[in-house]
Amino acid sequence: MHRHPPVSDTAPAAVVVEDLHKRFGELEVLKGVSLTAREGDVITLIGSSGSGKSTLLRCINMLEIPDDGRIVIGGEAIGLKKIRNGRVTVPADARQVERMRTRLGMVFQSFNLWTHMTILQNVIEAPVHVLGVPKAEAVDRARKLLDKVGILSKADSYPIQLSGGQQQRAAIARALAMQPKVMLFDEPTSALDPELVGEVLRVIRQLADEGSTMILVTHEMGFAREVASKVVFLHQGRIEEEGAPDKVLTNPDSDRVRQFLSRHLSGAA
Amino acid sequence: MDWELMWDSLPKLLAALPVTLELVGGSLLLGAVVAFVTALLRLSGNRVAEILTTAYVFVFRGTPLLVQIFLIYYGLGQFEFVRDSVLWPFLREPMWCAILALTLNTGAYTSEILRGAILSVPLGQVEAARACGMSRALAFRRIVLPVAVRQMLPAYGNEVILMVKASSLASTITLLEVTGLARKIISQSFAVFEIFILAGAIYLLLNFLASRLIKYAEWRLTPYLRARA
Repeated sequence: MHRHPPVSDTAPAAVVVEDLHKRFGELEVLKGVSLTAREGDVITLIGSSGSGKSTLLRCINMLEIPDDGRIVIGGEAIGLKKIRNGRVTVPADARQVERMRTRLGMVFQSFNLWTHMTILQNVIEAPVHVLGVPKAEAVDRARKLLDKVGILSKADSYPIQLSGGQQQRAAIARALAMQPKVMLFDEPTSALDPELVGEVLRVIRQLADEGSTMILVTHEMGFAREVASKVVFLHQGRIEEEGAPDKVLTNPDSDRVRQFLSRHLSGAA
Repeated sequence: MDWELMWDSLPKLLAALPVTLELVGGSLLLGAVVAFVTALLRLSGNRVAEILTTAYVFVFRGTPLLVQIFLIYYGLGQFEFVRDSVLWPFLREPMWCAILALTLNTGAYTSEILRGAILSVPLGQVEAARACGMSRALAFRRIVLPVAVRQMLPAYGNEVILMVKASSLASTITLLEVTGLARKIISQSFAVFEIFILAGAIYLLLNFLASRLIKYAEWRLTPYLRARA
């Protein structure tokens, strides 16, 4: 079976997360998580629902603002500051966060395509209006990306006309159009009918093979083993175990991971 | 029924149409600006702005338009500082008073329609915009507003129709728009039934056109809904 080659420890760090804490009211969802994604890494975050894996991913591009800890993207730390007597944490500089986000491509569970725009308009929107890419150039690039994810023929359709799998591939093309340094996937196949999962996973696998840096929250264990350079298992807001996929997914040290896998691998390949 | 009288009165009544159209058009245009600003302030998260705009909407939705028109036209002139102000040349004109009252009234209603539409834009679409590095303002302009405007059109169509009819209240402050002129013609001819039927028909025609226009705008702006079929 195909495996992701190990990534060298000396490769530059693309994303560094240090001692991240996040609370929603009384509930502490992340209790001090640290994680490093090096260039070329494909990290899959796994764990039961409520373990904090989606929150961790959303903190990386500041869709959730962490209460404590540090996030470093491509060597630049995101500035955070405390307001209201230290009770609330907010970005120190909204512009910096916006700039960082252009380097992080985000793919959501529910696609979140802009329904009032065609697929092509979805893909060129941010390059044109955020990065200032000339429209003709953006269209050119968008067509290549849509071709790459196999939906060029749908360029002038609206999201509502596409199947879930096609919508998710369009959303991946939209994220890639920003030429991000790191791709973040938040359960990209969880909202899809089983027969549509494969086409989306194929696209993500292709990106992994091309050496893209990716952080991926998923429930597809077989897929995680195939594409990941590292698997991180979260449990109740902490990292329970991390390491090479063959180790964590076949012979984990933690009983919790073992139990989780026995529940999740039974049906999966 | 005096058909001949009706036929003869039609051109006279139609001559008042420009005044009605000015009232409706002017107040819808200004009201849209008021509504936009009000909705934004109400959603701004600023406590003072929220309280002020909520109070404005509460008062102007909660009181009769006729009372508002009377207060502005008859009431304001009672204060000396109003009569001395630079606004007096406007506020002593019934036309401007009517437009002001209609504007404030439709502004209050429309701001609520717009606020609801803005809040109904799926959060995921806004998140997707922010995740691409859009600023709040850019995401609002490119994603939230276009979706919200499309969303609000059916309800706004209702508001336009209500405004066309509400403009008839301007006749109470001496304005000779369609209803005002109808009353004047009736006072000379005593043909109450004939003339008001005519006036009603004119409003019906206006609203027919207005609802067609809104329908067309809806159709033009939502190709993604048509595409489903």
